[in-house]
Amino acid sequence: MPTPGPAPDPAGPPAPSTRPATAPVPRTTGPAGTPASPPAGSPDVAASPPVVPTRGAAMLSTRDLVVGYDERTVLDGLDLALPADAFTVVVGPNACGKSTLLRTMARLLTPRQGAVLLDGTAIRDLPTREVAQRLGVLPQSPLVPEGVTVADLVGRGRQPYQRWWRQWSERDSAAVDEAMALADVSGLADRPVDTLSGGQRQRVWIAMTLAQDTEALLLDEPTTFLDLAHQVEVLDLLHRLRVERGRTVVAVLHDLNQAARYADHLIAMRAGRVVAAGPPREILTAELVRDVFGLDCVVVPCPVTGAPLVVPALTSVSLAAPARAASSVTSSAGPLAG
Amino acid sequence: MSALATRGRPRSAPPGRSLLRLGPLRVPVRRRPVLVAAALTALLAAAGVLSLSLGTPYVATPDVLRALSGAGTPYDLVVLDLRLPRLVLAAVAGAAFGVAGTLIQSVARNPLASPDVIGITQGAGLAATIALTGGAAAVLVAPAALLGGLAAAALVLALGARHGLAAQRFVLAGVAVAFALRALIEVVMMTADPIDGLRAQIWLIGTLAGKGWTEATWIAVTLLVLLPVLLWAGWALNSTALDDDTARGIGVRPVARRIGLAGTGVLAAAMVTAQVGAVDFVSLVAPQLARRLVRAERPPLLCSALLGALLLVLADLAGRRLFAPTQLPAGVLTAAIGGPYLMFLLLRGRRRAS
Repeated sequence: MPTPGPAPDPAGPPAPSTRPATAPVPRTTGPAGTPASPPAGSPDVAASPPVVPTRGAAMLSTRDLVVGYDERTVLDGLDLALPADAFTVVVGPNACGKSTLLRTMARLLTPRQGAVLLDGTAIRDLPTREVAQRLGVLPQSPLVPEGVTVADLVGRGRQPYQRWWRQWSERDSAAVDEAMALADVSGLADRPVDTLSGGQRQRVWIAMTLAQDTEALLLDEPTTFLDLAHQVEVLDLLHRLRVERGRTVVAVLHDLNQAARYADHLIAMRAGRVVAAGPPREILTAELVRDVFGLDCVVVPCPVTGAPLVVPALTSVSLAAPARAASSVTSSAGPLAG
Repeated sequence: MSALATRGRPRSAPPGRSLLRLGPLRVPVRRRPVLVAAALTALLAAAGVLSLSLGTPYVATPDVLRALSGAGTPYDLVVLDLRLPRLVLAAVAGAAFGVAGTLIQSVARNPLASPDVIGITQGAGLAATIALTGGAAAVLVAPAALLGGLAAAALVLALGARHGLAAQRFVLAGVAVAFALRALIEVVMMTADPIDGLRAQIWLIGTLAGKGWTEATWIAVTLLVLLPVLLWAGWALNSTALDDDTARGIGVRPVARRIGLAGTGVLAAAMVTAQVGAVDFVSLVAPQLARRLVRAERPPLLCSALLGALLLVLADLAGRRLFAPTQLPAGVLTAAIGGPYLMFLLLRGRRRAS
C-alpha cells in the first residue's frame, strides 16, 4: 500500500499488540451483562454504557473474510462484528480496503473465502430478495437513470417486496411517502432525478434505500461530492435513522472529524486490516492517526460536541510558520524520501 | 401531482399512476401509455382497413367490413384470401420486431442496439442465404434462418456474458458478429448462381410478398408462448436503467435478469426474421418512437409492439401501392424511413453530448 508522505513509524504497519483495541473485534468476548450474545460492539464498549440499547446481537459480522481483485488480495482473513443499532463508520487511507469491506458486506463483491453473516447466517445462503429486505445499500456513485422522477426512483426501493403480478401495494405507498419525508425530498417527487443538484440527488438515493425498509443500511462514501452543508445534512439524517428508527447504519467516510462526531463505533483500517475499532472517544488518538494515515496530528476535544477533533500538525512542506520558511525550502527537495 | 401526496389518506398507487387491479394483478399504470396504446390500436385498425381496401381491385370500406364480418361478398377472395393474411402477417411481424427491439435496446441501454445491428438478422441471413443458394427445399429456409439467428445470438450473448453482459460489451460483441456474418453472406453470394443470389438478396431485404398465414401463425405462436415472459419483462425492464450495484442492492440479480430479457428478445427476433426476412429498422425505430410518445425513460413493451405493427403494416401498404404495379419489399420502405431517423438520433445525441 503506497502511503506517500512522512513515514513516522519505520517499523511499518502497527503491530496488533501495541494497543488493546488493535486486533479485529473478536466475536466471542461480550461484555458482562449481555449474556449468551456476541459482542454488543467491541470490548471497549464495556466501559461506557451504550447510548442505545442493543438488540443483543451484532447483526452484521464477517468471518475469516478474504476478498481480492484478480491477483491482488485486499482483505485477508478479516473477522469483524458490527454492533446492532449503532452508526458504524469505517475510515482509513485510500486503497485500505474500506470500500471493499463495505461492498462485500453488501454482497456486491463475492469473497474468495470466509463469509459475511447477517444475524449469524451467511448472506450468500439467503435468497437475494430476503437480503434486500433486511440490508439496504447505497453504492458510491450510482448511475442516475435518464428521465426518471424522484418518486419513481424512490419507489424502486420497494422492488424486494414486489412481484411482477403484484407491482404495488398500499404498504409500498406508505413506505415511499415516509422515505421521501425522512430524506426531505417529498417536494421534489415529480422532478426528474437527472435535473437535481448533487445534494438533492444524494438525498433521493438515500430515500430509495430507506423505502427498502431494511434493518441495516450500508453506505459507501455517502458524502463525497457534496458541499459541507450537504455533508452535515446527510450525516444528520443517518444519525436520526439510528436514533429514531433504531437502524443499523454503516458508512465509509473520508473525513475523520465527521467520523468522530457521528460514529458510535469507529473502525480504522489500513492495508486491509483493522487497526482499531471502538467508540471514537476511546480509540481516536494522535497515535492511531499516525499509524493509520501516516499523519502527524494533534487530537483535541471538539468545541461543539466534545468528540475527538483531529488537527494535522505542521509539516515541513505545508504552509508553516514564516520563521521556518527558509528551512522548509531546502528540505522540500525530497520530502517523500525521508 | 403533489396534491396526490398531500391528500392525507394513503395512496393506493405511486404518484402519477393509477393501480390496475385485475384478479391478483396489481400493476401501476400511467395514463399516457394507456392513451397512446389506445390511439395506436385505433390507427392500426384504420391502417388495416385501408390496406385491405387499397389495391387492384379497389374494395370500398363498407365492403371490406362486410367481408370481414363473414357476410359473404364478391370480394371475399381479394379481401380474406389475398390481402388479410399478408396484413395479419405484417401486424404480428411488426409487433414481434417491436418487442424484440424493446428488450434488446433496454438490456443494451442503447437505442441503436436492435436485432439487425447486433447480428441476429445477419445470422439468420447467412443461414437463409446458404439454404437458398445451396438448393435446399423452400420449406427449410425459415427453419435454417431461425437456427442461424439463434446461433448468432448465442455467440453474441456468450461473448457479452463473460463480463456479466455489460451493456457496452454486449453491443460491441453484437456489432463485431454482425460485421463478420455480413462478410460471410457476401462470400456466399459471390460464389452462388446469380439467380439464387437474387433470391437471397430479396430475402435479405425482407418482404411479405407471397407470404401469409403460415408465417403469421409461427410468429403469433411464438409471441403467445412468450406472453407470460413478456408480462414479467414489462416489470423486470424497470431495473435495466439502474447500474448493477444499485440493482443488486434492491434484490435484483442483474446479470440473470439481463440474460432473461435479452434471451426473450432474441427468440422473438430470430423467429420473426426467419419468417419475413431482414426487415430493417422496425425493431430499432418502434421502441424509440414509442418511448418518446409515452415520455418514459425506457421503451414501453406494449406500445412498441403496437407501433411496430403499425409501421410494418404501413410500410407494406406503401410498398404495394407507391409504385404499383411494381411492388417494393417492405424492408426497402422501412429502411428508407429508418435511415433518416437513425441520422436524426445520431445528430440529437451529438447535440446533447456537447
